[in-house]
Amino acid sequence: MHLKLSGEEGFTPPGVKDFDLPPIFENIEWLTKPVLLVALSVVLISIFFIAASRKALVVPGKLQFSGELVYDFVRNGLAKDILGPEFMRFVPYLFTLFTFVLVNNVFSIVPLLQFSAMSHVGFPYALAIITYLVYHFVGMKKQGVGHYLKGIAFMPGVPKAIYVLLTPIEIATFFIVRPFTLGLRLFANMFAGHLLLLVFILGGEHLLAGVIGLKLVSPFAFAMGILLTFFEFMVQCLQAYIFTLLTALYIAGSLADEH
Amino acid sequence: MAANREADALWTIVGYMLSGLLFWGGAGYLADRYLNTSYLTLVGFLLGMGGALYLIWLRFGRE
Repeated sequence: MHLKLSGEEGFTPPGVKDFDLPPIFENIEWLTKPVLLVALSVVLISIFFIAASRKALVVPGKLQFSGELVYDFVRNGLAKDILGPEFMRFVPYLFTLFTFVLVNNVFSIVPLLQFSAMSHVGFPYALAIITYLVYHFVGMKKQGVGHYLKGIAFMPGVPKAIYVLLTPIEIATFFIVRPFTLGLRLFANMFAGHLLLLVFILGGEHLLAGVIGLKLVSPFAFAMGILLTFFEFMVQCLQAYIFTLLTALYIAGSLADEH
Repeated sequence: MAANREADALWTIVGYMLSGLLFWGGAGYLADRYLNTSYLTLVGFLLGMGGALYLIWLRFGRE
């Protein structure tokens, strides 16, 4: 679909092709921008938290304080609240997950980087699969395989005949819908966010190249782009939080004896 | 704690509704294709929705 606005050349709206980034070096096929961004995020997170915790003082400096703020948020705000007495075992995973998703999401609006690996469907699903394995493994280890599966499939206190109706729904929820929606939610939010910013900013640029009337409209498109950048920042933080929250909730569900 | 329970309920409810519709709706659709009927998909959707609502009530409603 081409919008003929300026008369000469048409405006090509951003689409899926904008996510299809070519390899950085022609002969190394797997080395694309998202891969580099993920590596960069790991380096940045490591440096930040090592620096923040290296000289831990009783009265923290700015760096240590900000590091501890994030750690405290995940540990006490998420893990301790949801997982109960056994929460410390899961803090490393939840903390890694939260910071990793958060930093990669925010890369989407960092100038020059401006792309989130999470808008490529493979990255969120890799994380969702890890969470999937973790919560099923924890449940099977804690309750025993048979007891765990029975707890999922057969809700107590229901007439036996009803199980024909309910058991498939329960199994589909725990084994298919949960990991599927977990990955999809993060992916779709990051994908749509990037696309939204592309529409307004590329659109504004295109309007600027048009006739005088269109030039006058273009600042509004840019203003909208800036406004949506702040909105996207909120969405990025929220999605990182939700991904971690749901992981913690799923683990808590596996730890509990029955649901 | 209260907010987290609500978040749990919210996502679990969405999950149940989705799987109820998908599983029983899908089963109804396949039965329709197999038996050359046209109403079983609807029956499946209704069954799935009913089952999902029942599960939600079992889990959150009877406390």
